[in-house]
Amino acid sequence: MGRYAIRRLLQLVPVVLGTTFIINYMVWQLPGDPFAGRCGQRPCPDAYVTAMREQFGLDQPILVQYWNFLKNLLTGNLGVDFNNVSVASQLADAWPITIRLALMAVAFEAIIGIGAGVLSGLKRGGFADNVVTISTLFLLSLPIFVTGYVLQWVLGVQVGVIEPTVSEEARVSELVVPALVLASLNMAFTARLTRTSIVENLRADYVRTAVAKGLTNRRVVGIHLLRNSLIPVLTFLGTEVGNMMSGAIITEGIFNIHGIGGLMWRAINGQDYTIVVPVATLLVLVYLITNLLVDLLYGVLDPRIRYE
Amino acid sequence: MSEPTATQDLIKGADEPAVNVGEVQDSRRSLWRDTWDILKRRKIFWISLVLLIMFLLMAAFPSLFTHKDPEYATLAKSMEGPSSEAWFGYDLQGRDVYARAVYGARTSIIVGVLATLATVLIGGLTGVLAAYFGRWLDAIVSRVGEMLLGLPYVLGAIIILGTIAPAQSNPSKTTIMAVVIIVLALLGWPIVMRIARSAVIQAKHQDYVQAARALGAGPLRIIFKHLLPNSLAPILVYATITVGSYISAEATLSLLGIGLRPPVISWGIAIADHTSYMRTGAHALLFPAAFLSLCVLTFVMLGEAVRDALDPKLR
Repeated sequence: MGRYAIRRLLQLVPVVLGTTFIINYMVWQLPGDPFAGRCGQRPCPDAYVTAMREQFGLDQPILVQYWNFLKNLLTGNLGVDFNNVSVASQLADAWPITIRLALMAVAFEAIIGIGAGVLSGLKRGGFADNVVTISTLFLLSLPIFVTGYVLQWVLGVQVGVIEPTVSEEARVSELVVPALVLASLNMAFTARLTRTSIVENLRADYVRTAVAKGLTNRRVVGIHLLRNSLIPVLTFLGTEVGNMMSGAIITEGIFNIHGIGGLMWRAINGQDYTIVVPVATLLVLVYLITNLLVDLLYGVLDPRIRYE
Repeated sequence: MSEPTATQDLIKGADEPAVNVGEVQDSRRSLWRDTWDILKRRKIFWISLVLLIMFLLMAAFPSLFTHKDPEYATLAKSMEGPSSEAWFGYDLQGRDVYARAVYGARTSIIVGVLATLATVLIGGLTGVLAAYFGRWLDAIVSRVGEMLLGLPYVLGAIIILGTIAPAQSNPSKTTIMAVVIIVLALLGWPIVMRIARSAVIQAKHQDYVQAARALGAGPLRIIFKHLLPNSLAPILVYATITVGSYISAEATLSLLGIGLRPPVISWGIAIADHTSYMRTGAHALLFPAAFLSLCVLTFVMLGEAVRDALDPKLR
């Protein structure tokens, strides 16, 4: 286990270096002027471009730039954006909101998704199973922003249950609908995964033994079946936490939430690459690290799995 | 497949060209025949097939569905709601929402299908080659794939598109469509590569491959005649569902302003154009969104029907 963890950690290093290099290279080095459109309708004066290039280190060779970027990242110095506002302070304001949103979304996924999956898996081919299969099919084919705009329109504009946009503080009660939107796609995946897993395990020998021992139905399902069936579901949920952070770009944009995603949405629209690069790097790091943790957790949850 | 005759046929097929191989494929126990037998009994398959044909017709001959010009704008009718004259109402520029939704099908389907095709070609080829030749080729392909998969999908597309085609730029119709297709395929191929790679690694040491090699078949012949058909089924299933998710990804990118943009007619652009007018004219946003969702649903349903038919575990 320990050796496996170390090996995985070492394997992560080239992936992290590679992805961060791709991000840096793509954003700063490709043809196209990163400072275009910063001076209104007319082209920027040369003096401004030179000053900006110098300030953001664009006059140095690409590898030196990348080295500086890594050094700054490790020392926590994220620099300032084009408006001279500290990127780190903007991130510090935005993180808590996105984490709150993502945690709520994971909670919805777990509760609704697993609930629906168990319900449909236990009575395969029954009424509940059909309802779940069809509704997950629809959820799977609705792009997240369609779900978002439709709910915003129905609940916010037509019925008036919620405010169409979320306020600056982003209270938990305001985040319920955005979290549901963010969770919608994965909720369907979770339900289907749980269903498949339950259906598979229902045929397993240990379930038959448990029934033959005369255990109550509740105990068989609650203790024996669920424990084993939920392992793949939990790992899926874990992997998706990292993915969700970047899914939040769309959701936070729609509901005007001032989290990481909203920051990214505005940075893209305003073409402020000094925000895009560190935010993208952090999102990638979160994604890779959650994936690693989930992989390691897998062995703890399921002792049958041996890493070697 | 386990009858001795079938196996003999396969071995015979290895040293004699295509004719015999064709016979084996046409024999009644073939995978595709089995799949078709299962598919034609499924209601979901027929529903999705009818929808698919409808969308394909819409993409090829939009004038069959509407006689209106999607570019014709009457500003006086801006944001007018649905009426008997225009079933879905008019958009911000006073253009017919229904006509634009019909004409939008072509863009979405072209982008979805071409991007999927590119993904499958790049992913399938690299996967098969990496698994067959192994060693350093496998190492390089796998690492590059890992790196690209390390970028969350939306984020990756945003970074690439935001740089080469930022929201303020104004590329031509074909350029921007090509760029979007390339970006989708570039970020998507590692998944197909993994599917093909694992299928080939499993098949590589099977007796029939050894037999073919013993009979003197070269790498090209082994790959195309013996290994590739094995990874075809899982890739086909993945590809069908992927068309749907690429269509939805294209719309998402267009919504962000970095995917397709006017004068291209697309559902994503139609939605993006009207997000700020939700209170006054939600119809201009909801109808294209409905077309988009229905189209994605079609491909997801078709993919599920094909998967159920091809995956023996679920039978």
